[in-house]
Amino acid sequence: MPVLEGISWSFDDADLLDRLETADEAMLDEIPFGIVTMTAEGVVTGYNAAESRLSGLSPARVIGRHFFSAVAPCTNNFMVAYRFETEPELDAVVDYVFTLKMQPKKVRLRLLKQPGRRMYLAVQECP
Amino acid sequence: MEELLQFLYLMPIGVVKFRLSGEVELMNPMASALLMPLAPTGSLRDIYTTLAPLAPDLKRRVQQFPEQAGIIIDQRQLQLQPPSGKPRTLSLTVNRVSDDVFMAVLKDITKLREQQRKLFADQQRFRAIFDNIRDYAIYTITLNGVIEEWNQSLQRYAGWMAADVEGQSMRTLFPPDDPELPRLDRFLSQAERTGSVEIEGPQRKRDGSRLWADTVITALPDESGSVRGFVVVSRDITERKRIEDDLKLLATSDPLTGADNRRQGQIRLAAEFARHDLEGHTFAVLMLDIDHFKSINDRLGHAAGDAVLRALVQTCKSTLRVVDAVVRWGGEEFLIVLPGTDAATAVVVAERLRAEIAAVRVSIPGGASAGLTVSIGVAEAAGEDTNELLRRADVALYAAKSGGRNRVVRAA
Repeated sequence: MPVLEGISWSFDDADLLDRLETADEAMLDEIPFGIVTMTAEGVVTGYNAAESRLSGLSPARVIGRHFFSAVAPCTNNFMVAYRFETEPELDAVVDYVFTLKMQPKKVRLRLLKQPGRRMYLAVQECP
Repeated sequence: MEELLQFLYLMPIGVVKFRLSGEVELMNPMASALLMPLAPTGSLRDIYTTLAPLAPDLKRRVQQFPEQAGIIIDQRQLQLQPPSGKPRTLSLTVNRVSDDVFMAVLKDITKLREQQRKLFADQQRFRAIFDNIRDYAIYTITLNGVIEEWNQSLQRYAGWMAADVEGQSMRTLFPPDDPELPRLDRFLSQAERTGSVEIEGPQRKRDGSRLWADTVITALPDESGSVRGFVVVSRDITERKRIEDDLKLLATSDPLTGADNRRQGQIRLAAEFARHDLEGHTFAVLMLDIDHFKSINDRLGHAAGDAVLRALVQTCKSTLRVVDAVVRWGGEEFLIVLPGTDAATAVVVAERLRAEIAAVRVSIPGGASAGLTVSIGVAEAAGEDTNELLRRADVALYAAKSGGRNRVVRAA
């Protein structure tokens, strides 16, 4: 296995989806912004350390649940869930407000979806 | 602690804790999801700013609230038009918990509002239909037939006012002598079992007169599916019934005398024979002929002959029972069918009829009057067919004629 230390992750990386696809759990936990990994149906299969810190929820609480209806119903709307459900291919950045730990915080969401692959929601806190 | 956090994430209503200054301290995800369309790029840190487009008076209402605690805004409906998608309706409640602690509760009640709007539109539509129909009565009754709701259309229908009939049994609407009336309870239980029942018959107007109505009683289930009452729709078919009756009379009677015509007589005979063959009912026929009718016509004219025929039928009808049939069988020949009557009784009836007719004086056009007599042959049905029965009656009639007329002869 090649040594992958020192590789930097960028929220706006054009190849983000490809890189997430090949990353293992430990690597995902290295990422400084939140990553939610989902099946094509929206069931959570991964919840990285940064996302866990942001929301206060441990991966065990959310993995296996449907993200838009049973983890973060506040994203179950036309801006996020609807786009994941209706667009076959998706790479979009959305300005959003998350109420992480009940404090409204401006965030940027990156919605990533390609046919035959898992779906990703990247969450970056705005300064 | 984590469980509590998850509980708050999943809460389906929006809750916001804020200060007198409008600064938001805590807010659950549903609150931010509901409010986000109001501030797509801005922050949600100030609740007055966020809600200003929908509730511009919020800041004033909160800051001028005189009490130390209490409800400031109670379930106010806010119309929200997101940048894309359908307009939504939010319900907003604002509560002062203590001096500098305020809670706002937001609920998406779009669906509820749509249901309410649809319900209201339906109500309006039904009311418009209810109030403007003329030949129909629509009302609701309880399981026991007590009238619950009456509408103004019924005033046009039969003259009844709500005060006359609400709380009364629907029997009020039927003539007291209607033979169907005792069966009303059975109609109701039938409607409860099968969903609906249709009845036709007379109904009583407020002024005491009658109308003829077609009535459909439909069971009205509640949410659980059990019947809690009925909807009754009655249609005034008086005119149709009158036309039907007229047509029936035209088709079945002799226009000159009002007696049944020959075709109707054959139908009556067939019905009596069926009862005779199947159930053993006895019946008798009288074959009746006016004596010297040709000479009445020749001496006094055809108008006099017609008057004699009419007088004869009138006398027959007033002497006989309602169930008996008087049939104009040929020119001056009449057949009388007597259900449930044996030969001996038929002879008595025939004799009485002969005497009544002999006593009649018929007014002739032109001022004169004339009398008439009849000869009658009597036969009781005895298992043979119609032709044979009528032949026996004819033979008896002939015997009465040749025996001197104005007499009754019983068939062998």
